[in-house]
Amino acid sequence: MRAPSARRSNDPPLLILTSLADGPKHGHALAKDIEAFAGVALGPGTLYGAITRLEERGLIEPVPSDDRRRPYRITPAGAEALASAVAEMHRLAAEGAARLGLSLGTIA
Amino acid sequence: MSGHTVERMLRWYPAGWRDRYGDELVALMEDDLGGAPPSARYRWSIATAGLRERALASGLLGRSAGADERMRTGVQLVLAGWAACIFAGAVFAKIAEHFAPALAAPHRAIPQDAFDAVQGAAALAAACTLLAIAVALRALVGFVRAGGWSTLRRPVLQAGAPSILVVVALARLAPWAHSLSNAARNGGDPAYGAAFVAWALLVAGALALWARAGAVAFRGLRPTGRTLGAIGALATIVAVAILAVTAAVALWWAQIALHAPWFLHGTPAGSAGSPWDPTLAGAACVMLLALGVAQHGVSRIVGARRELASHRD
Repeated sequence: MRAPSARRSNDPPLLILTSLADGPKHGHALAKDIEAFAGVALGPGTLYGAITRLEERGLIEPVPSDDRRRPYRITPAGAEALASAVAEMHRLAAEGAARLGLSLGTIA
Repeated sequence: MSGHTVERMLRWYPAGWRDRYGDELVALMEDDLGGAPPSARYRWSIATAGLRERALASGLLGRSAGADERMRTGVQLVLAGWAACIFAGAVFAKIAEHFAPALAAPHRAIPQDAFDAVQGAAALAAACTLLAIAVALRALVGFVRAGGWSTLRRPVLQAGAPSILVVVALARLAPWAHSLSNAARNGGDPAYGAAFVAWALLVAGALALWARAGAVAFRGLRPTGRTLGAIGALATIVAVAILAVTAAVALWWAQIALHAPWFLHGTPAGSAGSPWDPTLAGAACVMLLALGVAQHGVSRIVGARRELASHRD
């Protein structure tokens, strides 16, 4: 699987890592959170496909739970991958803003 | 959403994935849908993701499966491509029968070389397939002794039954063919034509079922890394042979289209004729498909070999 892409802000792995950055969530809560902060509705297949790949790469892990709604949390490696993607997006945004003569703070 | 619907939707996924994530996905579906039936889009999301997981788990795509599994899948793809190529090649051989007299002497060399190349490449691929079976024989015996026959019995019997029919039908068809003229054999006798097409379809079915039986057997084998590497190398040669067969058939067709298009329609030499022949075009399409499948198989084999080599270093 490719690394979470900073060039595609609707990249499901990146959206999941972002959602899990503030605490563990199960599948349905993840989908709702991502829809709320990114406006992206991930289908169940896409969501669980991305969860599978992220877990394979050790970027997220399940939180022990007896509930079928198993929550996931971001791992240190996942936090590092997210930080790297965010830094790259920030560099790209700063470059775009500079070329447009805008300040990043003024862009809604 | 009924339990039956959920069960059916989960079946898109491979068993290993269902064991690990199935309950979670069901819980997600319950939360998403409540009691409502899933929309077509929702079903599509599950179906495509499930098929993707199957492709990943079998080593058909990506690197989720181990290198050994990807190598096995690559070999199976080449085997499937070769089975399709045998069928298309047999159709080509039937069409190309007695082509040389249709060409003026100065134009015979290139199509004859192309035809010989098809036969040579097919013989090479057949030899490599037999060699691969010989290499895998020890592992196959071990598999059967360990109870693998119960897995193999059904696909082998399913392939064996139409194969017997092919032989019996050929025994009836061959004397009939010998009693007919060239023109009658090549479309002049509709009854013979229909019988030949039915026989050809039977051959195609038998080939496909043997390829499936071979794939089932190969999936059950536990060969050593060295044996698997040798089979992978032989499969790569088979894929190259499929490429050679396809290129040679294209060259033959181009030469016939240029110098004797009437041959493809059985009309008198020198008469106007289109280079287009739907049966030959169909065979060429099957060859191209076989080539694509085999080349994808080779890409899986090469990727797996590289990974295995890097682990050894």
